[in-house]
Amino acid sequence: MKRTRILAGATAASLALGLAACSSADDGGGEGGDATLGFYTDKAAWEPSFDAMNEVSGAEGKTLDFTGYSDTTAYDSFIKQSFRTKKVPDLFTWHTGPSLGELVDQNLVAETTDLWTQAEADGLVPEGLKDNYTYGGKQYCVPLNVAYWAVYYNKKVFADHGIEVPTTFEELMAAAEKLKAADVTPFHQMNIIFEFAWFQALLAGNAPDTYQGLQTGDASYLDPEVVEVMDQWKQMIDDGYYNDPGVTTDPQTLLKNGDVAMAYFGTFLSGQLTEVGAKSGEDYGIFPMPSMNPASGGQMVLETGPLCVGKGSENEQAALDYSAWWMSDEAQKTWSDERGEVSFNPHVKVDDPEQQKLVDAATSDDTTVQQRYLEANPLPVYTLSTEIFGDFVTNAPDPMPGLQRLQGEADTYWADQG
Amino acid sequence: MTATVAPPRRPTSATRPARRPRPTYRWSARGFALPAVLVVALLLYLPFVWTSYLSLTEYNGLGDPELVGLAKYSEMLTDAGFLNSLLNTVYWVVGTLVLPVGLGLLVAVLAYGLKGSFWYRLPFLLPYAISGVAVGVIWTFVLQTGGALDEALALLGVTDPPRWLLDAPLNTFVMIGAATWQGAGVNALLFTIGLQSIPREPLEAARLDGASGWTMFRTMTWPMLTPLTTVVVGLSIVGSLKQFDIIWAMTKGGPGVSSETLALTMYKETFVNNDYGLGAAVAVFLTVVTVAASVLYLRRQLSGAKEL
Repeated sequence: MKRTRILAGATAASLALGLAACSSADDGGGEGGDATLGFYTDKAAWEPSFDAMNEVSGAEGKTLDFTGYSDTTAYDSFIKQSFRTKKVPDLFTWHTGPSLGELVDQNLVAETTDLWTQAEADGLVPEGLKDNYTYGGKQYCVPLNVAYWAVYYNKKVFADHGIEVPTTFEELMAAAEKLKAADVTPFHQMNIIFEFAWFQALLAGNAPDTYQGLQTGDASYLDPEVVEVMDQWKQMIDDGYYNDPGVTTDPQTLLKNGDVAMAYFGTFLSGQLTEVGAKSGEDYGIFPMPSMNPASGGQMVLETGPLCVGKGSENEQAALDYSAWWMSDEAQKTWSDERGEVSFNPHVKVDDPEQQKLVDAATSDDTTVQQRYLEANPLPVYTLSTEIFGDFVTNAPDPMPGLQRLQGEADTYWADQG
Repeated sequence: MTATVAPPRRPTSATRPARRPRPTYRWSARGFALPAVLVVALLLYLPFVWTSYLSLTEYNGLGDPELVGLAKYSEMLTDAGFLNSLLNTVYWVVGTLVLPVGLGLLVAVLAYGLKGSFWYRLPFLLPYAISGVAVGVIWTFVLQTGGALDEALALLGVTDPPRWLLDAPLNTFVMIGAATWQGAGVNALLFTIGLQSIPREPLEAARLDGASGWTMFRTMTWPMLTPLTTVVVGLSIVGSLKQFDIIWAMTKGGPGVSSETLALTMYKETFVNNDYGLGAAVAVFLTVVTVAASVLYLRRQLSGAKEL
């Protein structure tokens, strides 16, 4: 009798453990209307901004129940795992490019084609932004935010050395030379996270078609335009135009203190500069990166992060309604004011004139908007590029072996795609 | 005359023939053990079996894994980055054997028997109370370009110091140095316990025979420390093979992949590059190497001890 009880207890315990581990996704759906939406993001520090959004969206009957992660890797794993459970997130932030493509391939995110059609009809999104969210001719997710990549500069350093804001690449190099001669480090760059930044800045301006061709397999890393860019970059490193990549101080602090005169970054740097007490227009300014080849015209790289609806989530329809509201003038004005950053919505002017100048430049007829290198390229190629460019930033070796490895990886990838 | 007859004694456990446990007892024992066995199977064996399965698949963490045979192992073994990680891991294994273990032994032997020896050992032991990540952050402040070490060297007139965390394999060597700073103290403590457990008589006898200093250590102390050395070296090998936190905090395996070890490659392939199959292949490789190194080393050491 005792034996039977012990065995029964053990079996029940193991069954409970097994069942707990084996929950599976089911079809959700849900209705629109008032709802508290489960919202997950890797931008934990942005919680106050989302709280402010809740105050506005609450009037529409929809609020976000915020869960923030500060580690992107842990967050990505969590989201992927959540799709294996019953708790599919109503709304979550993600990454454009191949990462979003993976979710679309697995049918895990709700389609937003109707939302985009309406937003375009209402003029809520700029031309070309939709390409970042289009897979197989349909749209998925809506833009959470955008950032334009441009050159931030320390106004005092420029004034002290009599340097005007460069409008051509020649002027940019002349400014760098002048700063270097005065023992000021002209540019910031880093060998982790944004190691691709100067490759992007130089290639988009030197050969926009080649920059795009690398994203589709129509161009090669061994093309002369790419080699030219690497040679230019190497020359700039060899000439001492960049800070030592071993310095781990934040770029915003280096720029604010004048340890570097310029930093090529996304407009998210504005918020970080504000956090260290630097004022836009007084302490720092921003100008579009001049094209290395003047014949390329203006080139502006845009980065955008998506806000996605989990397909089959408990409040799927309400989350789609929230996504539509997110693109509205009301929501975007609140968001832009709260974050102090540009909005993708052309109706919304950012309070910061320096950033507004970028938006005006990006939306002008003679500027082409390009996707950021990180999201635009196949994941295996980007992954290898972090190694190649990280080493290049650090040691400035002969670029050819690195370019050959990148092209080898690209060849393998595009061959697999048929 | 009276004769006394001793009463028959109950058989002791030594004289009683061994009886097989009754079947009821055996079943009860199995019942008690079953939950623990299931938990171990669920939390230890099952993940390893799952990881081994994943290493034979193409999988990005979404949908279903697709079987690709040994392709991921082939990819792993032909990847220059993996071979670099393997070399760095070898540096770590050798480095942590020579430095934290060697320095720990030196501190223990030199301080042993001295009055107030605890105070000599204490400073070496304090860093062990700090987490690996905190050690990494502290040493990054010291070793980064323009950091504390460069500033100190500048005072001595060295204006062009080495790029401690940027150039390979120097970056791996200085990180082994950071691990030594953290790990030598606990090894010294363990060796001290070993020294305290050595019986005095053989040492006294050797001393009477004229042994002292290096001869005493080489011929008497060191051989008698063998059981403790086996444990310390065994722990060191396993610890160095799975070294992660200090490297992640100091260089994240970079620049590029120049300071990656197998543990970092496993993590980055799986969670950063989303190649779960390749990450699992590295994990299986690392597990096999770690278990094999531990078993071979311990078997060799323990069989040697039996012969003694």
